[in-house]
Amino acid sequence: MKSRASIILLACVLTVFLCIPMILSAGGAKEVAKVTFFWAEYDGLTDAFRQELQDAFNDSQEAIEVDIVPVDWDLMHDKITTAVAGGAPPELCVIGTRWLLEFMEIDAVEEVTQYVSKETIDNISPGAMEAKLGGKLMGLPVAAGARIMAYNADITTKVPKTMEELRELAIRVHNPPKVYGLIMPGKKHTECTDFAYYLYAAGGDFFETRPDGSFGKSTINSPAGIKALEFMVQLATKDKVIQEGYLGLDRMDSHPLFYVGKYAYVFIGAWVESAYKSAGGEFDLRYAQIPPFAGQKQTSLIITDSIAIFKDAKNKEAAGKFLDFFYKDEWKARFDEMIGFPPVTISAGKLPQFQTPLYQVLIEAAQNAKGWPLMTEWAEVSDIIWDANVEAFLGRKTPKQTLDDAAAKIDKLRGM
Amino acid sequence: MVESKLILHRRKGYFWSTESKLAYLFLLPATVFLLAFMIYPIINVIIMSLYKTNKIGKLVEFTGSTNFSDLFQQKDFWVVMLRSVYWTGLAVAVKTLFGLILALLLNVEYKGRKVARTLIIIPWASSVPVSALLWRWVYHPEFGLLTHSLRVTGIWKNPPVWLGQPVSAFFSVIWVDIWIGIPFMTLVFLAGMQAVSKDLYEAAVVDGANTFQKFIYITLPGIRDVLLIATLLSTLWTFNDFNTIYLMTRGGPAGSTHILITYIYEHTFAWWKWNYGAAMAVITFIILSIIALIYAKVYFRREM
Repeated sequence: MKSRASIILLACVLTVFLCIPMILSAGGAKEVAKVTFFWAEYDGLTDAFRQELQDAFNDSQEAIEVDIVPVDWDLMHDKITTAVAGGAPPELCVIGTRWLLEFMEIDAVEEVTQYVSKETIDNISPGAMEAKLGGKLMGLPVAAGARIMAYNADITTKVPKTMEELRELAIRVHNPPKVYGLIMPGKKHTECTDFAYYLYAAGGDFFETRPDGSFGKSTINSPAGIKALEFMVQLATKDKVIQEGYLGLDRMDSHPLFYVGKYAYVFIGAWVESAYKSAGGEFDLRYAQIPPFAGQKQTSLIITDSIAIFKDAKNKEAAGKFLDFFYKDEWKARFDEMIGFPPVTISAGKLPQFQTPLYQVLIEAAQNAKGWPLMTEWAEVSDIIWDANVEAFLGRKTPKQTLDDAAAKIDKLRGM
Repeated sequence: MVESKLILHRRKGYFWSTESKLAYLFLLPATVFLLAFMIYPIINVIIMSLYKTNKIGKLVEFTGSTNFSDLFQQKDFWVVMLRSVYWTGLAVAVKTLFGLILALLLNVEYKGRKVARTLIIIPWASSVPVSALLWRWVYHPEFGLLTHSLRVTGIWKNPPVWLGQPVSAFFSVIWVDIWIGIPFMTLVFLAGMQAVSKDLYEAAVVDGANTFQKFIYITLPGIRDVLLIATLLSTLWTFNDFNTIYLMTRGGPAGSTHILITYIYEHTFAWWKWNYGAAMAVITFIILSIIALIYAKVYFRREM
C-alpha cells in the first residue's frame, strides 16, 4: 500500500516536472504572430543593420514579432530545404530565384501578391520580376545585379576590350608577391559563376534552348564551353596569373584578397564597393564590363534573388506586413546600398546615392546579361560543372574530356 | 498441471509486482524517447529507401530494391564506399596508436603530469566545428600557419594547397579527425591502464621482464576490453564523421574527400534525392551494425 502511494506520488512529481516548461510558456505567452525570416548574409551587409531592422519592426508592432535569422549564403539552400522537408519552413526566406522552380514543384511557396500590399508590389521595377512565373509573382525581388569587372587602378588603368587582352594585361602586371594579375576562385561554392563568366563571354550557354523555351541537351562541351575552360586553365596553370592556392579558395575566400590591393582584376558582383569600404580598401577602385572573347558580344551573368513566402508557415499575413515595412526606402535603400546591388524598387532607384559610376556600369551590364537556366536540377548540374572545372585545373582531364563527361552526366541526370 | 499454473501465476505476479511497475515507469521516458527519435527514424529511412521520393522526401511510388541497384551501378558510389572504409580504418588505427602511446606516457609518474592530462583533452573538449574551422585557417594557402611556417623556415618552399588537391585534402582532413579523436582514446586507455594491478608489474620485474614485455603481456591484455570498446566507438564515430569533412572541404575537390555520410548529405539535402540518400543510409546502418555485432560477439565471448 505504501509502495503504491509512493508510485503515485512519484508519477505526479514526474508529470508536474515534465509540464513545467509548458506551464511557464503558456503563462508567459502573448498573442503575437511570430515571423521567422532566413536572412542571407550578403557581402557588405552588417549584423547591426539586421538587428536594427528587427528591433524597429518589432517596436512598431504589438501583435507581430519578427525573428531575422542570419544564414550563410553557401548554406542557405541546404538550410531551407531541411526546414521545408521537416515541415517547419520559415515564413520568409531569401532564395536564389533559380531555386523557385524546385519549391514550386513541391508546392512549398505561395504567390507573394496575396500577402504583400499592392503599394509595395507596384514599387518594384518590372525588370526585376524574374520570379514572375506563369503570370504569378512567386518571390519578391530582393536583389538583382549583373556581374562586372572591378580593377585596381593603382596597378593598371587599362581596361581590356577582350578576354585575350585581359590575359595579356594580367601577364604584364603579374609580379608576385607584390602584384597578381587576376582573381579566380578554384574551390567549389554555391554556383558555378566563374565558369559562367567565361562561357557567356565565349558566346556559349549551358543548354540548348528549344523553340518552346524549354531546355534541351547540355552545351557546356560546345566549342565555346571548351574555349572558356581552356582559357581558365591557361590563366591558372600555365600563365599562373591568378591568386596562389586558388584551388583551396572559394568565392568567399578569394574576393577579400582583392580589397588588400595586390590584385589587378576581379569578376565580381555589385557588392564590391561596399565590401571594399568595409574591408578598408585604400586603392583606386574602378569598374568595367567583363570583356567578351574576340569576335563575341559582351554578355554578363545576371543573378536575381527573391524573398519567398512558404505555404506551410503559420503567419503569412504577418510576414507580408513585415515585407511592406522592409521595402520602404528607409530600410530597403539602406539594404541595397550595403549589398551594393542596384535597387529593385522604383523609388529607391531615384535616390542620389544610386547615381554613381558603379551603378552606371551595373545598369549597362544588365542590358545584355543572361541569367542561370531555370530548371529544377540546377543544384546538381552546377555541382557537376564545378567538379568538371576542378578536374581540368588539377590536370586529371583535358577541358574537352572533362566537359564531355560532365555534359553526358548532366544529360543522363535529366533523362536525355 | 495445477503446480505449473501456480508457478506461471507466481511469475506473472512477480512480473507485475509493484517493484517492477516502478521500474517500467522509470523506463518509460527512455523507451518513448528511443522509439520516437531512434526507432521511428530508422524505420522511416528503411521505408524511404524502397520508394521513389519527391523533392521533400514524400513517398511517391514503391520501387523495391531499385534505389540500391541504381547505387550499386554507380562507380562514384563504390569509390566513396571504399574511401569511407579506408578513411575509417586509417583514422581509427592512428588514433589507437597515438592514444596508446600518450596513455603510456601519461601513466608514468612525473612532474606536470596533471597539466599534461588537462592539455591533452583540449581537442576533444573543443567543439568539432570550431576545431575544423581552426584547421581550415591553419591550412589556408595564403595566410595559413602551416603553409607560412613551411615557407618561412625553408622546409618546403612550394607546399601543396592543402585543401585544394585531392591527396593532400584527404590527408589534411583525416588528420583533423585524428587530432580531435586522440584525446578520447588516450583518456580511455589511461583509465584502463590505471585499473591494471601494480602487483602484476612488480611480479614481472621480479621475473626479469623488460618494459616491452610488460606492455605486451600485462598492459595490453589488461586493457583489452577497454581497447575493444574504444575502437568500436571510434569506428562508429569516424565512419559517420560529417562535421570535419563538410566544414573543411564539403567533399571536394572534385569529390575526393567524400565519404558515405557526406555523400548522403549531398544527395539528400543539396540535390533532394531522398530515396538515394535513404538507401545509402541503410547501407551505412548495415555496415556499422555488422561491425558492432562482431565486436559484441568478441567482447561477450570473453565475458562468458
